[in-house]
Amino acid sequence: MFAAIDGSNCPSLPQDERASHSLLLERGTFRVARPWPPVDADGKKIAPQFDIEVVRDPTGCNTSAVYGLHGKHPAVSVFRRPRPATNLKYLTAVGFVFEPKNGFPLPIDPESGQRMSGNLLADSRAGTLKLQLLDAMHTHLETEGNLHPEQIQRILDFEGQLYTAQSVDFVGGKLDDGGAHGGPETLALSKPGVLKSSKDVQWVEYSPWAALATTNTAGSSDAQRLFRESVARGAAIFRDRTFLISDSSGLNSMNFGNPTRDGCNFCHNMTRTGMDVAPGQVDLGTTNEPFADSAPDLPLFKLTCHAGETPHPFLGAVVYTHDPGFALTTGRCVDIGKITMQSMRGLAARAPYFSNGSARTLRDVVEFYNRRYNIGLTEQEKQDLTNLMSVL
Amino acid sequence: MCVKGAVLFSLAAALGYAADAPTLKPVSFIACPVYRDTNQGRKSGCWLADDHESGVRYDIGGGRAKPQIGHEVLVEGVVANSTDVCGGAVLAPVYTAVLETRCPAVMLPPENYPGRAFQVSAKSVLPPMDVERPLPPPPYESQQWVIQFNFQSDFLLYQYSEVILDAAARYIKASGAKRVLVTGYAATKEMQVSGRTLSEPSALAKTRAESVAEALRRLGVDPRQMHVSWRKDPEPIASNDGLEEPSKRRVTIRAEL
Repeated sequence: MFAAIDGSNCPSLPQDERASHSLLLERGTFRVARPWPPVDADGKKIAPQFDIEVVRDPTGCNTSAVYGLHGKHPAVSVFRRPRPATNLKYLTAVGFVFEPKNGFPLPIDPESGQRMSGNLLADSRAGTLKLQLLDAMHTHLETEGNLHPEQIQRILDFEGQLYTAQSVDFVGGKLDDGGAHGGPETLALSKPGVLKSSKDVQWVEYSPWAALATTNTAGSSDAQRLFRESVARGAAIFRDRTFLISDSSGLNSMNFGNPTRDGCNFCHNMTRTGMDVAPGQVDLGTTNEPFADSAPDLPLFKLTCHAGETPHPFLGAVVYTHDPGFALTTGRCVDIGKITMQSMRGLAARAPYFSNGSARTLRDVVEFYNRRYNIGLTEQEKQDLTNLMSVL
Repeated sequence: MCVKGAVLFSLAAALGYAADAPTLKPVSFIACPVYRDTNQGRKSGCWLADDHESGVRYDIGGGRAKPQIGHEVLVEGVVANSTDVCGGAVLAPVYTAVLETRCPAVMLPPENYPGRAFQVSAKSVLPPMDVERPLPPPPYESQQWVIQFNFQSDFLLYQYSEVILDAAARYIKASGAKRVLVTGYAATKEMQVSGRTLSEPSALAKTRAESVAEALRRLGVDPRQMHVSWRKDPEPIASNDGLEEPSKRRVTIRAEL
């Protein structure tokens, strides 16, 4: 039932066998084949700063004579979770002119004259929703030709009105109850691209639940009250808990230093969605060794930066990775393993998490961050953060 | 218009050095930086480095760019009379540049040093895009802006460069400047620091100039207005921060009416 082009480990495999779709079935990931070397928005080849070798190829696609790195149309196959095609005004919102991670003003879409947010797709290969839909049409749908402008506009109009968020929790009940403002309606009505601040508090949606113990909670069970208080505590941890962020290209490589003390909303700083108001390409270590979790079912690439090029700031000139991420778009060593942050809304129904599906549950997401940055979360704090994410 | 000086002093003020007039005692050295995890909130840790020649440990955390543990750092600063809150004599102003050479990654606990909270001057940040801002009013005259860079870097530093670029682009737009001269410089002349010979490659002058020109283009300055050039071995800019070498690593933007 899955398309061979992206719903199987490789189109060259026997499509009627379950094993040929293992990465979709086990990880929820689809195959994304990026042209190699990368091409820019005008289709011009970019001279990459690194060579790429296939170290391990469990799907066979990267060494395939047809679909592989040395095939007729050289491509790098990586496996990624699909991103929700909803809440899109937050993905395209531009809060500030400059992108601090590269120092430049955001580029302008020549067609609309608007600045492009840089927050679409894991590797930011499309700057606008129009380019994204055309990319999807030509790759995932394998469609030749182009759509009429009216057809494109109808798709954009349709997807632009879709909002999704968790609206009910089995324990917590209705998420717009008790003074809270969870659910998609608040998302639809709110302004996108707002940077969190003392005035625009991150996850203010659930602030009213912080005081349930001292307010009238008639009609709510103890379990519900405790859950809601846990959610509010999770929001506070997300906002206020600081820890040492280290060796994360995109963050520690700009002028904040390595390490730098900050919190979850240092990066997840856009109100309502927890995205980055600036383009959110950061190397957390979800795909790059040695920080990435073991993943024998995923391909492994060895990237060797050319002499004279600026290497990856923390991993050096040779990087082993399951997915080069943003570097597949830019060809730059400093971008290896950077993955665009995504919206944190509607998470509970969308396991597994991270672009490669490496976190099976929301709790696993918390465990990854706790391990990666040595945060030292207590069992209760882990549960609070998990509960918060489950109601976004 | 000496933007550099203005920004330096606003940064010094933000960090609490305003009352301490620099004693104009420049120091420069290469060291392995040490991070002290004094927790005064976000971005609050201390950065320390020892000058091997004098044996003095300095607090080098007050610059625009912070060091990275595990990499040597070039330190250029002026000794200030500020209170020691990190475990080192305060350098302010101070420039730190991460070098490629590796060294041990060292972190220290607070050890009763309070550190200082991170603050950024309002003059060093741009407002959100949706904040309406009037263009600079007339009268207009030819103007020049200076953007400094880290040693051996063409990176446009956050909470510094964008404010200058924004001011320049808005002035160019408002004044209808006929020509915009973008000139990049690299400090190619060798200097001796901690027994080592350092210099910048001449190619850096070009990439710095091109970075600034590209940023201005994205801010709406017509590329046909811009004349982009680059030079090596520049003269230092007469400045009041007591540090000549860092002033050579620069790009100037000149709007001619």
